Order: sequence, then C-alpha cells, then structure tokens
Amino acid sequence: MLTVVKNQCRISFLSIKYALMREMLNKTTFITNVIFMVLNNASFIIQWIVLYSLRNDIGGYTFRQVLLLWGMASGTYGVAHFFFKKAFSLSDIINNGKLDSFLVQPKNVLLSVIVSDVETSALGDMLYGFIMLIIYGITPYTLILYCLFIICGGLILTSISVILSSLSFWFSKTDMIAETGNNLMVNFATYPDGIFKGLVKALLFTFIPVGITTFIPVHVITEFNINLFIIVILVTVIFITLAFLIFFRGLKRYSSSNLMVARI
Amino acid sequence: MRKYLFIYKSELMSNLQYVFNVFAGFIGYFILMVIFLNLWKYVYSNPDEIINGYSMNQMIWYVIVTEILWSSLSGRSFCNKISEDVRSGNIAYNINKPYNYILYSLMSHLGSRTICFIMYVIFGMLVGFIFLGSFPTLSILSIIAVLISSIFAFIISTLLITFIGLFSFVIEDSAPFYWVYSKLILVLGTIFPIEYFPKFIRPILTFSPIYVVSYGPAKLFVDFSWNNFIFIFIAQIIYIIIAYMLCFVTYKKGVKKLNVNGG
Repeated sequence: MLTVVKNQCRISFLSIKYALMREMLNKTTFITNVIFMVLNNASFIIQWIVLYSLRNDIGGYTFRQVLLLWGMASGTYGVAHFFFKKAFSLSDIINNGKLDSFLVQPKNVLLSVIVSDVETSALGDMLYGFIMLIIYGITPYTLILYCLFIICGGLILTSISVILSSLSFWFSKTDMIAETGNNLMVNFATYPDGIFKGLVKALLFTFIPVGITTFIPVHVITEFNINLFIIVILVTVIFITLAFLIFFRGLKRYSSSNLMVARI
Repeated sequence: MRKYLFIYKSELMSNLQYVFNVFAGFIGYFILMVIFLNLWKYVYSNPDEIINGYSMNQMIWYVIVTEILWSSLSGRSFCNKISEDVRSGNIAYNINKPYNYILYSLMSHLGSRTICFIMYVIFGMLVGFIFLGSFPTLSILSIIAVLISSIFAFIISTLLITFIGLFSFVIEDSAPFYWVYSKLILVLGTIFPIEYFPKFIRPILTFSPIYVVSYGPAKLFVDFSWNNFIFIFIAQIIYIIIAYMLCFVTYKKGVKKLNVNGG
C-alpha cells in the first residue's frame, strides 16, 4: 500500500516537473507571467490603504492581518492552480471525452489528470503569498503554519473543483456551476470575515468554505487555537475523500467520444 | 463606415443566440455586489454619513455602475482573442481584407457585447434597487448623457485592450499586461471614486484612462451635473483618438515584422 502511494506521488511530481520544464521553454514569457502576477496581486494593497485611511479596522482585522489574509488567499490559489491546474478544467475534459488517454494509464486516473499541467502564473501567486507573510512577520512558527494551511487550502479548492466538475458525469453544462463555485471561493477569500453577517457569514463557513481555507488559518496564525487547527485538517481530509468518491462514482458513467488527441 | 456597421450588426445578431450565457456572469456580478454592500455598510457605520463627498448609497451605486461597465466588457477574452490572432498568425488573413483591423475588432467586439451590456444594465439596476430601495435622481436628458458617456467608456476600453492585445507582436503572451491593466482599473477606478484618493494622486488619475472608462459614467450616474458631463465628454473624445492612434501605430509596426509559418 505504502509503495503504491509512494509510486503515485513520484509519478505525480514527475508529471508536474515535466509540465514546468515545458512552460520554461520560453523564459521571457515564463518570467513575465510570474512577475506580473505578483504585481497584479500587489495592486490590491492600494484598495486596503484607502480603506484603512477611512477606518482603523475593517471587519476586526488590522492592516497587517489583511496582508496575511491576502497572502493566505493567493498562496492557497497558487498551490491549487500550480499543482492541480487541470482540476479547474475537468468539466471540459469529461464533457469532451478527453479522459481516454488517462484511463489507459496504470495509475490513479484523477491524480494523473489534474497534475498533467501547471499554471505558470500561479507561481507568482505563491511567491506573493510568501512576500505577504514576510511583511506580516515571518518566524519558523508562522512559516510552518502558513505552508501547512496553503497546502490544506489548495487541496480543498482543488477538491471543490473536482466535486463540482464531476457533476459533468451526470448532467450536461455543469462547467458553469464549477466555474461559479471556484469564483465564489476566490472572491470572498480576500475580504475579512468580520464584514459579513448573518446568512452570508454562515455560508462562508459551510457551503462556500472560504472560512476553512482562509479565515480560520489567519486566526490560527494570529492566535493559535488547537480546535480550529484540527477543524482545518479534518475538513481537508473530508473534502479530498469526497472528491475521490464522487469522481470515481461518476467515472463509471463515463463514455468515450472517440476523440483523437495527441498529448504532447 | 457602412461595412463596419454591417460587422457590428452581424456580431449583434449572432450573439442573440447565446443570450442565456450572460446569466452565468450575473452570479459573479451578484457576489461582488454582496461583498461591496457588506464592505460599505461596515465602513459607513452611520448610513447618513458622508465620506469624501459620497453617501453610502452613492458609493454602492458607484460600484454597481463601474462593475456593469467592467463585467459586460469581457476584456480578458477579447484581449486573448487579439493576442491569439497575432500569435497564431490569423492576423495575416486580415491584412489583405478591405477593412481596417482595428476598426473591425472594435465593431466586432461592440456588436458581441451590446446585448450583454443591456442585460447587465437591467440586472445591475435591479440589484441596486433591491439592496437600496431607490434610484439616484436623474432626468431623462441626464440618463441619455450617462448612456452616451458609458458607450464612449466602452469604446475606449475596447481600444485600450486591443492595444494591449497587440503587444503580442513584441512579447508572445500579452496576458500579464492585461492583468495589471485590469487590476489598476479595478482598484483605482471601479471600487473607489477619484475623491477617495490622496489629493496629490487625483490629478494623475484625472488624466489617466480610469477617469474616462469607469469614473466618468459612474460619477455622472450618482451625482449628475452638465459641467461634469461636458468635461468627461471632451476627455473621452480625446482618449478615443489617443487610443486609436496607439493601436494603429502598434499594428502598423507589428505587421511589418510579421512572420507566419505554414498555412
């Protein structure tokens, strides 16, 4: 069992490595993508400078905590989109019968699909996350927690995308649902949870689990709480399990479209 | 001019078939509005408070209008299309056609987004009314003025994005430039009016594209005055000329060194 997992991990990392090498063929484009993504994220600091000139705290967050929130959101997004890029276009892969080439591989189908490509600009997101952590105040303690939380958050984001995209096995035109779900996670993640009240806030900790991927990690890094920490880990495990279960349940309904494609 | 009107009409008619696709975009728009409603309600602890000359309702309407302009534009896919035309060599097919590529792209994009824009206006007004319970006070003439200003803003945005897309002649992937442009418009023009920024930055913003593509129409909608309209109108005309010239020069220089392999 352990050897199987080890082999699967090795294959996945090799797949990511070769995809990255492919992206690095054009160095100018690669570097521009990374640097401009950092600048792209950094532009939002202006928004918070303006808001903090109006009030001393926004939603109970200090300016430094908002920077950490941004670091957490972009780090989470970066992990999900860099390592598991194809999870975010899984609907299209299922709808167009592009799973065929992965089905014949003697490895886990879901993992083989989602690690088959990388998004270069997501490296910029991860880099920006670490820059924000440095500005917030980097210590071995914050660094370890931050790395752990962006991995958990990235896995939750990926799992949500896999779950929503897997609906394509049963229904048509579900790509819009998957896209909307992904957008919901990204849009809410960059605003302090304190500004939301009532139903919206409840949704953010349940059906749209931004609270688990971003808000709770920021609270735990600011002030450690073992219960919240365990909740994040548990929810991550639950989402990953659900993603695998739903995907493989749906895979039984998959039918090829006889599409001839070359994977280069 | 008639051929460009024909291009506009053709795109408009073909996009009527995909009208339901716009509804998916409404969800994203609605989410943003929920976020901004919550944000401004938090910042304006007292709803009657005036901050930098704007009440809470005016701020929410301001964001509703700027987001209508931005969301209905679909700038990213348009920039990708121009960029892809250059990278794939498709642009070579346009060189020998009896039209100007810049004007063709402009009219084609305007045609494809017109229905979307109208639907966003209706949806945005509905969202604003549900959230706030009233509309800003505007006469029929001032509504027409706001619409003219919005259409001009749309034209300028389209031309500026064409210009960014044409960067692909120089650097293969122009998407990173679009990210930065879109975020600057979003942060400096969509979320806050110019009055929210420090005094020393305001003159820079007034002369930047932000003034003509987002601030202008939204400001007219929330706080209309004919003086403002004339000033914004003149600035928009100047910007249309500048943006077109930028596209034209980049295109002309680009096609000279265009090298297409295969066919």
